[in-house]
Amino acid sequence: MVPLWMFLLVAAALFCIGTFAVLSRRNAIAILMGVELMLNAVNINLVAFWRYGTPETMMGQAFTAFVMVVAAAEAAVGLAIIIAVYRSRKSVVVEEVDLMRG
Amino acid sequence: MMFNLALFVILCPLAGLCLNLAGSRWLRAPMAGIIASIAAAASFFFAASQLIALQTQPQGTIVVLGDWLPLLGVQWALQVDALSVTMMLLVTGVGTLIHVYACGYMRGDAGYTRFFVYLNLFLVAMLLLVMADNYVLLFAGWEGVGLCSYLLIGFWFDKANGVGTRNSDAARKAFVVNRIGDVGLLLALLLLYVNLGSLNFDAVFAQAAATLSAGAPLAVVIALLLFVAVTGKSAQIPLFVWLPDAMAGPTPVSALIHAATMVTAGVYLMARSQVFFDLAPLAQNVAVLVGAGTAVLAATIAVGQYDIKRVLAYSTISQLGFMVAAAGLGAYAAALFHLITHAFFKALLFLAAGSVIHGVEHGQSATGLYSAQDMRALGGLRRRMPVTFATFLIGALALAGLPPLAGFFSKDEILAAALAENTLVCALLALTVLLTAFYVGRQTLAVFLGEARSEGAAHAHESPAVMTLPLVGLALLTAFGGFMGIAAWLGGVFGEHTPEANVWLMGGATLLALAGIGLAWRMPLVKGRMPCALQNGWWIDTLYGWLIVRPFQWLGGQLARFDRGGLGWLEQRLAAGVRGASWLMSKTQTGQLNWNGVGIVAALALVLAAAVLGGGA
Amino acid sequence: MGEFDLLSSLPAIAPEIGLTILIFVAVLLDSFLHESQRKGIAYVAALGMAALAIVPIIPGWAPEPGPTGDYLFWGGMIRHDALAQIFRIMVLASGALTCLMAVDAKRVGNKGEFYTIVLVATLGASLLSASADLIMVFVALETLSIALYCLAAFKRNDSKSTESGMKYFLFGAFSSAIMLYGFSLLYGFTGQTNLYALAQFMGTEAFANNAVPVLAAMVMVIVGFGFKISAVPFHFWTPDVYEGAPTPVTAFLSVASKAASFAVMMRFFIAVFPNDLVIGDYVIQNFWVQFMAAAAVISMTLGNVIALSQKNIKRLLAYSSIAQAGYVLMGVAALQATTPLGAERAVASVGFYLFMYTFSNLLAFAVIILFSEATGSETIADLAGLNRRSPWLALTLTIALLSLAGVPPAAGFFGKFYLFTAAVEADLVWLAMIGVLNAIVGLYYYLVVIKVMYVDRSEDEDKPIPTSQTYRWVLGVATLAVIILGTVGAQVIFEWAVQGAGTLFALLPGVF
Repeated sequence: MVPLWMFLLVAAALFCIGTFAVLSRRNAIAILMGVELMLNAVNINLVAFWRYGTPETMMGQAFTAFVMVVAAAEAAVGLAIIIAVYRSRKSVVVEEVDLMRG
Repeated sequence: MMFNLALFVILCPLAGLCLNLAGSRWLRAPMAGIIASIAAAASFFFAASQLIALQTQPQGTIVVLGDWLPLLGVQWALQVDALSVTMMLLVTGVGTLIHVYACGYMRGDAGYTRFFVYLNLFLVAMLLLVMADNYVLLFAGWEGVGLCSYLLIGFWFDKANGVGTRNSDAARKAFVVNRIGDVGLLLALLLLYVNLGSLNFDAVFAQAAATLSAGAPLAVVIALLLFVAVTGKSAQIPLFVWLPDAMAGPTPVSALIHAATMVTAGVYLMARSQVFFDLAPLAQNVAVLVGAGTAVLAATIAVGQYDIKRVLAYSTISQLGFMVAAAGLGAYAAALFHLITHAFFKALLFLAAGSVIHGVEHGQSATGLYSAQDMRALGGLRRRMPVTFATFLIGALALAGLPPLAGFFSKDEILAAALAENTLVCALLALTVLLTAFYVGRQTLAVFLGEARSEGAAHAHESPAVMTLPLVGLALLTAFGGFMGIAAWLGGVFGEHTPEANVWLMGGATLLALAGIGLAWRMPLVKGRMPCALQNGWWIDTLYGWLIVRPFQWLGGQLARFDRGGLGWLEQRLAAGVRGASWLMSKTQTGQLNWNGVGIVAALALVLAAAVLGGGA
Repeated sequence: MGEFDLLSSLPAIAPEIGLTILIFVAVLLDSFLHESQRKGIAYVAALGMAALAIVPIIPGWAPEPGPTGDYLFWGGMIRHDALAQIFRIMVLASGALTCLMAVDAKRVGNKGEFYTIVLVATLGASLLSASADLIMVFVALETLSIALYCLAAFKRNDSKSTESGMKYFLFGAFSSAIMLYGFSLLYGFTGQTNLYALAQFMGTEAFANNAVPVLAAMVMVIVGFGFKISAVPFHFWTPDVYEGAPTPVTAFLSVASKAASFAVMMRFFIAVFPNDLVIGDYVIQNFWVQFMAAAAVISMTLGNVIALSQKNIKRLLAYSSIAQAGYVLMGVAALQATTPLGAERAVASVGFYLFMYTFSNLLAFAVIILFSEATGSETIADLAGLNRRSPWLALTLTIALLSLAGVPPAAGFFGKFYLFTAAVEADLVWLAMIGVLNAIVGLYYYLVVIKVMYVDRSEDEDKPIPTSQTYRWVLGVATLAVIILGTVGAQVIFEWAVQGAGTLFALLPGVF
């Protein structure tokens, strides 16, 4: 059987890739995608921990389901907001969205 | 339990105040006065209920309302005992009569509602002062009455008061001078708390009696500091200068605050804190000397005044000197007795004087060379204002100390106490008796007898019933106050036996008073010139101006220059530095999402590194 | 978790049930009412929330330990204790006042969905105050956050509003993803999701060599909470969102979201990393207390100093809010107190501070809403002459600002007093001193605003700010609350919060 640390490594890598995307991408949609990667890393963690740790309770499974649902809701709202920004600016590049500062 | 009604003594005027405040836009002129008067009367009613409650439980009680400052162990609590009930009855009783009087006196004034709001506020603060069960609450009331005094002296803040200053200056003077006394009280409170560990009356007094011996330095210092507060509030040497100027306020205010109640708060404070004064003979001696000295000094100045209210103001200072001297002699019952009778007859005199001013102002066409308060412009009002004359006469004779009026008995008790202790003090007070009879006699003669000396006086007419009825009420109290058993009751309160009636002393004092009145008959006010020194109050105001006010202004000017120069430069550099830092820091707020995200992750890494390396120590 | 008893479990989520019903009512009203009548939804929502806020105060309805003998309900998801109730009252009160404040706001007040989303956000915040499980914390936090993203971008044709919404969203999603990763690690280490069960597992011998991963998870969790309470260095979104979002939204998110997040943060750290948790050589509490103290210092200083140079009143209040978060973090750091009473007083000082902050800040924002609706300006300099235009408005804003600055007799004085006392009692004298210094700096910029209102002159002094009846009620209630909390009510509420704090620690094995 594949050992637990392999799953965790994949998840950690995914989390780092997601974080890097958030920090480096300038397009709001790409940043959102980075966040989604991070959330999926969490999901992998949760499911792996559940399977290897406490398969007798359903906590990990339930947690994962909630994360997925919330991620979907978040994406829906986020995309709607980004579309609204695009309508008023014709751009979703975060560097150009800086009306307020200081 | 009837004692629970004690709260309502304060709540009634508070309710009146709130009602008037809330309805200030809708209430028409008489309503505000009626509401305030009813509130005062209701408060008197509840105070009377406390007197009845005392019959069943003479030692009184403490009504705890709730926690206030748990750190200091101070509660919202009212002390109901014989002393506080006496003061409650006095404040609310005289207060009610003056409220009613003011309904007439203030009619037509633009600030009618405002006046009654202040008046009720004063009652609240004064009742808080006398009902407090601890020094903190007492201090709150002490400051509250000071504030009300300030507001009411400056009630007509836009008018000049004839002495070349504005009313607002008089108000400010009263406030600042009182502040000096308040510092004494505050310091005394601090010393009390630090050394005796509490500010509640019961605890402090018990602790002081248990730990301090007679003449202990701590007791002396505390008593002297308390006495500083007394000289401020009760207008004694050297802080009495504010009271004559305080006459700029409307006359009911002069009667209520600056004659009957607030200025006696100092005497109340001495009576309440008698433990400390009894432990500090030095402070007692100071109090006696200051009191007797004030009595004589103020009486001499009163002789030299032309303004009808300023005579009464100096007379008040002089009489307060009597009370302070009595308290200093340890004759608290006599001091309180005189406080009460004085409240009756001095309030009466002020209200009658107000009635005179009111009547003359109405009769005065715009021609008047003199103001309506100048006694040289009055005269002959006996016929035109019979009720006012009769009541004023009763008050004046009581002030002079003629039997069988209230003032006679109380003054006699003080003289007896003084004679037993110190002949010099007794002599000073006797001299004051002579002077008092002299100036009040001259005043009565100048105002009511002879011929009218101005248009206004010639056309004056009697005040309406709403003003004369309180006069009659106070006149009755003045006439019979000596027979109501107040002296015996107070003697019981302080555990002092009333001294044996000394016929020689009584006779002598009466003769002195008669001599004073005789002198007044021989030397009428309007004839001859007044000595300049007396007219100007021994130039004490001028002296203070040179000694204190001018140097202070000079110092202020120098400090201001230093502030603008040296210190200002430092300040500016500091401000510029902070502003620079602000600008620099605000540059971190770029609005750039990526960089801010990097900030978060960097912080995360930093904290984690610190945790691992630092070992979580 | 024992037998499940529906009836005895219902009171634990009574406010949430009520809010859910209100949400349905609001949606229905929104679809049936004509556009001109939709303002009425505000009153329905506000009255509903006010009624729900009163429920916990009713005598005899105080939280009782449930069937399992502790305060945990619904399978351990909810901890129904007195502290949760206090924070629920704050959240519901701020929701109600926000709805009323929004009534006259252009392009916001006549939209039914605005009130619906405010209700959803309130539901999230209310649930957050009582959450006792990693899953519940996450779900409640997201319910609150997602609703707030929508609200921030509510004026969807206004580029500032949408920009603030986008920034809030991206930051929020990012930081909550980090926090969630921390949650997943905590779950993985222990196999538990209940906050009160986690500590028992981490205290065992098996963990002795694994302190660093636990610390990593903790730091990640801190990111999520730090974002919600806008503590430095997770504060970057705050000024932009405060400035760009519609003002009623700013008001709501400055108080409700912050209060609920502080509530859950204290619960989280007390339950998961209690003071007796030692992993290997690491005393875990020392670590997070030090972090809180450091964050408190940086937040106070940075917030106050940057606020000095602000021109926009909403931005000023944003930095002020960062600084206020710093003050409150001082109270959280004071949880290191070594006696039960000390820790309880620390929690209570935080509770009291947020309670008074709720009303003070709402009051300030209420006046700003009125002012900017009437004049279209949010610049501090334009407040000139407000005293002559509308003396009552100027007075209420003055009271609010004085409360925020901590000047008696406004409520803020006692708020700061209790916080500083808690810090001193917990041997954090240096922290309290920095707090006092910061309060002085803070006083300056609040006073500048007051000076502008009272001293500076403007040409519009003869144009009073129109104030509707609803608004007078909002201002009156909030002012009254601020004054009462600053005078007679302070001790009462504080004692109540101390009791609430007692239940926060109650029945926790081994904390003290």
